[in-house]
Amino acid sequence: MKSAHIQHLYNRVGFGIQPKELARLSKKSKKNVVNELFTVSKKITELTVDTSFLKELRLKDFKDKKKRREFQKISRKKVFELSSAWFHRLNNPSEILREKMTLFWANHFVCENQNILFVESYHNMLRKNALGNFKHFTKSVSKEAAMLTYLNNKQNKKQSPNENFARELMELFTLGQEHYTETDIKESARAFTGYTHTIAGAFKFRERLHDANQKTFLGKSGNFTGDDIIDIILEKKQCARFISEKIYSYFVNENINKKHVDEMASVFYKDYDIENLMRFVLLSKWFYADENIGTKIKSPIEFLVGINTIVPYKIEKPKQILLVQRLLGQILLRPPNVAGWKTGRNWIDSNTIVTRLRLPSVLLNNAQIAYSEIGDEETLITDFNNRKLRKKAFIKVTANWQAFEENYKKEANKDLLHQIITTKLNNGTAEMLLRNEQLSKQNFVVQLMSLPEYQLC
Amino acid sequence: MKRRDFLKQTTFASGMLFVPQFLKAFEQLPNKTFSNKKVVIIQLKGGNDGLNTVVPFNNDIYYQKRNNIAINKNDVIKISDEVGLHKSLQPLQDLYNKGFVSIINNVGYPNPNLSHFRATDIWQTASDSNQYLQNGWVGRYLDYTKGYPYKAIEVDESLSLMMKGKTQNGLAITDPKMFYNSMKSPFFNNVVRNYNDAHLSEHNLGYLYNTMIDAKSSAKHIYERSNTKGTSAEYPKNIFGKQLKTISQFINSGIETQVYYAGLSGFDTHANQQITQERLLKIYAETMEVFIDDLQKNNTFDEVLILTFSEFGRRVKQNESKGTDHGTANNVFVMGKNLKKQGLYNNLPNLGDLDKNGNLKYEIDFREIYATILDKWLEVDDVAILNKSFSKLGFV
Repeated sequence: MKSAHIQHLYNRVGFGIQPKELARLSKKSKKNVVNELFTVSKKITELTVDTSFLKELRLKDFKDKKKRREFQKISRKKVFELSSAWFHRLNNPSEILREKMTLFWANHFVCENQNILFVESYHNMLRKNALGNFKHFTKSVSKEAAMLTYLNNKQNKKQSPNENFARELMELFTLGQEHYTETDIKESARAFTGYTHTIAGAFKFRERLHDANQKTFLGKSGNFTGDDIIDIILEKKQCARFISEKIYSYFVNENINKKHVDEMASVFYKDYDIENLMRFVLLSKWFYADENIGTKIKSPIEFLVGINTIVPYKIEKPKQILLVQRLLGQILLRPPNVAGWKTGRNWIDSNTIVTRLRLPSVLLNNAQIAYSEIGDEETLITDFNNRKLRKKAFIKVTANWQAFEENYKKEANKDLLHQIITTKLNNGTAEMLLRNEQLSKQNFVVQLMSLPEYQLC
Repeated sequence: MKRRDFLKQTTFASGMLFVPQFLKAFEQLPNKTFSNKKVVIIQLKGGNDGLNTVVPFNNDIYYQKRNNIAINKNDVIKISDEVGLHKSLQPLQDLYNKGFVSIINNVGYPNPNLSHFRATDIWQTASDSNQYLQNGWVGRYLDYTKGYPYKAIEVDESLSLMMKGKTQNGLAITDPKMFYNSMKSPFFNNVVRNYNDAHLSEHNLGYLYNTMIDAKSSAKHIYERSNTKGTSAEYPKNIFGKQLKTISQFINSGIETQVYYAGLSGFDTHANQQITQERLLKIYAETMEVFIDDLQKNNTFDEVLILTFSEFGRRVKQNESKGTDHGTANNVFVMGKNLKKQGLYNNLPNLGDLDKNGNLKYEIDFREIYATILDKWLEVDDVAILNKSFSKLGFV
């Protein structure tokens, strides 16, 4: 397989590729390279944090306000820990494709919660289903405690229906706007009544609160349950099309090619098998077309993890991991709202572009970054006056330059350029780089990663 | 010529090389000039307890529901026979007496959301509570006026949804000098100078370069303009004081920025509310006093309107930890020199008529305030920006 195509593949389904790996794969056929991705991703490694503090908690403890508050406090800390653990995992992935798909689905089935048990369970549910069956996936999502809370489905009762989940299920998760009516929302909300969860987060169905009467939904009538509703939605080819389009725009190109998406939808509609769909995309000819290479604006996470592929680094303080994510506009486990992060050009504004271009020096060359401690909505600031007004911080980073030198020992600066930048360089910039070619390899690579071109993959 | 002067001039001269490039960023000048008035938006983050800020000190229900955190009748600053302000707002009293303050009570929206993040989103995007917008009302104002990034400045390190439009974005900035310096490195200059492909702008790469050029020209513009005017006013030495000081510096130096956004955190008072709220409101009031005084001394207060909101108010009934839980409607403070309605804009909420969760029922939709500001103060088409028509209020 052509090196440029392998690079492209690994940029999109992973976070870049190192020279040695690239050399190994370039001896294989496209089919084998793609197959290997799926074989490696068969495994599912769950992401967990230590939640043993919960073992001592009893149900009655949650009735005590003080203890409940204590629990919430620890829980929030643990969610933050999980977020850091996720970032660490992304930087050291074993199941590359599954890892990337998990990140993709986290911005599709968007959910946020402060209860560590719910968040952990939800996250691992995404992992498990990332390459599985979309129907089963959607049903699992509807029964997770985190989602039942996030979109208020646990408040959805026969006597007082709450339409929040039903609406987003169709608008954001399966069909897209304009493919259902307000009546469809009302009727399907009734089918999801009675859903709730135990205190530990297990799904629980309360018959008593479920509306078992007849509903009419998307032209069908029956005593539908929530699962029935999902079945009916997936009977619409629009659902296959909607998901295909989202996958196309994430993995292939934000400019949708209708013909390609139609092909995908036909494949996906057969059995809603995500792995089959992805295999079809990655084996297609158009995935490797020039217009799809080096044109995607990296998300902040893709940007941060991509740097790590080239020069492994570790941000020493977990708080600073979050700080860097905040400055770039994407904090793991903290989506802006149920519609998720807006991608593509939306990642880039006057502030984030400057941060992105500076960050390689900050992370790898101990440059300073300044920020102010703002505290979020839930922080009670007790020591207001003594707090430093502005922090100039060195992000405490350990950069493994040795690994870089080792991994890239065969590449001259000119080769580095093609390893690291996949888009066509702006002419002036290309000339500038040519003039700087005599720089040390380390300086040169930092410079490459500080270019607008590096924001694309 | 001294060597240093020579260097200065040559640096300047080489800086001139960029000008034609920078002009590109300014090409899409708005073809119409809009009002040059300014709005300063302040968010009391975490959900300030409005009932203990603007206190109904003759209301029995208030004292019943808040048996150990209600504010004593004798502790308030009375502004009417029924209503008093929290004593920490004392620095605002003089401004209030001069008619520079209008308090709009019971502001909210239908089906309120009680999550900090979601409620903040709703206030920032001016959406309905079941609608998820991906751009903010100030951002859409920039879209509408085709304004440069520095037309709307958030005094922070990262840009909130409020300041992001469909095509235009505001700027997050805490320190103009630092922002400017961060982009002054020879490498950036080289990158920007070497960008010579005018046809790329429709591609993502062109977008990246243009955003960079935009940022650089904005930084330069703000730095050079704001440099002209230092302030001698003594702002409280805390983050909020510093934010407002930066804003006054911008306003007083005549920068074309029209919307500023700053925030004060820590209002999520679930426990032992009194001490925290007392301290935070004091920081707020002291800072506002210095800020307005600073503007007045520089004759710029006329053109400034200050809007203070919180993402939600708090539950009427206190909890058992001497605090309050998340609630709904809240009061909004508007400050300015020529307010059409001064003092209390409307009546306080009816504590006898709560929703099923024990929360206030709103009377004024917050978007009516936005619509009023857009229509009457900034003189733009509020319907185009808010995507909906709201009735206007009479405070400006």
